[in-house]
Amino acid sequence: MFRVFFIVFIALSIVYISLSLYSRSRARARLEEEWGEGPRDLPREAYVNAGLKAYDGSLRRKLILGVYVVPMALVGLIIYLTNFA
Amino acid sequence: MRYIGWTLLITFWVAVGGLLHYTLPQRDIVRIVNTYEERQELGDWTRVFWSRPDTQSDTLINRDVQFIQTVRANGRPMVYRNEDTGWSWPPYFKFDTSNLYTEAADQVSTKVNPEWVLITHYGWRNEFLTVFPNAISIRPVDGPDASKGLPWVNILILTLLAAVFYGIWVRWRRFRRRRIDPTLEEWQDSFEATSDAIAQKRGRFRRWIDSWRG
Repeated sequence: MFRVFFIVFIALSIVYISLSLYSRSRARARLEEEWGEGPRDLPREAYVNAGLKAYDGSLRRKLILGVYVVPMALVGLIIYLTNFA
Repeated sequence: MRYIGWTLLITFWVAVGGLLHYTLPQRDIVRIVNTYEERQELGDWTRVFWSRPDTQSDTLINRDVQFIQTVRANGRPMVYRNEDTGWSWPPYFKFDTSNLYTEAADQVSTKVNPEWVLITHYGWRNEFLTVFPNAISIRPVDGPDASKGLPWVNILILTLLAAVFYGIWVRWRRFRRRRIDPTLEEWQDSFEATSDAIAQKRGRFRRWIDSWRG
């Protein structure tokens, strides 16, 4: 049982890490594009860094935790339906 | 070459279909006749048709398994095994084997005074390989013709799977059109160009030889 938990945890962590790196790089690309289209009253670096700081606190980043939450909830639901419903 | 492709394709889809048919839940309306336990040998390849309720059971070569004997509405027998799936495949996370055994024993009925139940199960019955479907849950129903309900779980899983396969297929086709087909055409073009050049050269050589013949 603990072996299964461990393997699943490792697999989900790989998914989580890749997904957060990907999402952050997408956010950076979006900010850079925005800066290119905008009035450019901030230097590019400063604009992108401020935007990324906002991204770090955003809901979108926290939603990636769903990688852990959704499978756990699903397993919990199946356990309930199989054994107790 | 085309036959090999077709054979691989058909084998793949039969395997996928078989796996799904084995794994997805199915419902039978039956009358429970008896429950029993029997020691089962687990030493050969048919081990895959028995569960792995815990990590100890991996190394066992035999153990006691519970069974539920039933008769279907059409009068033919069906025997289910009753085993925990635990944390292993298929992911039913069944831990209540003993409770299910009790429920089954509680609903034993006779032919004269039948009590019909709906058994949700997965797996196949095969007499030659001594394979039994695993019972997941038991619910009393009105009669042998009662409704089995819509198979929501199967609809959901099959729809999701179809979406995944379609997504992979579309991406593969796009990849092929963009990357593989142009490369193949390039190869073909350069091959044709080379063979044209060779033909031309040979033509010149031939003419030179012919000039010596006079």
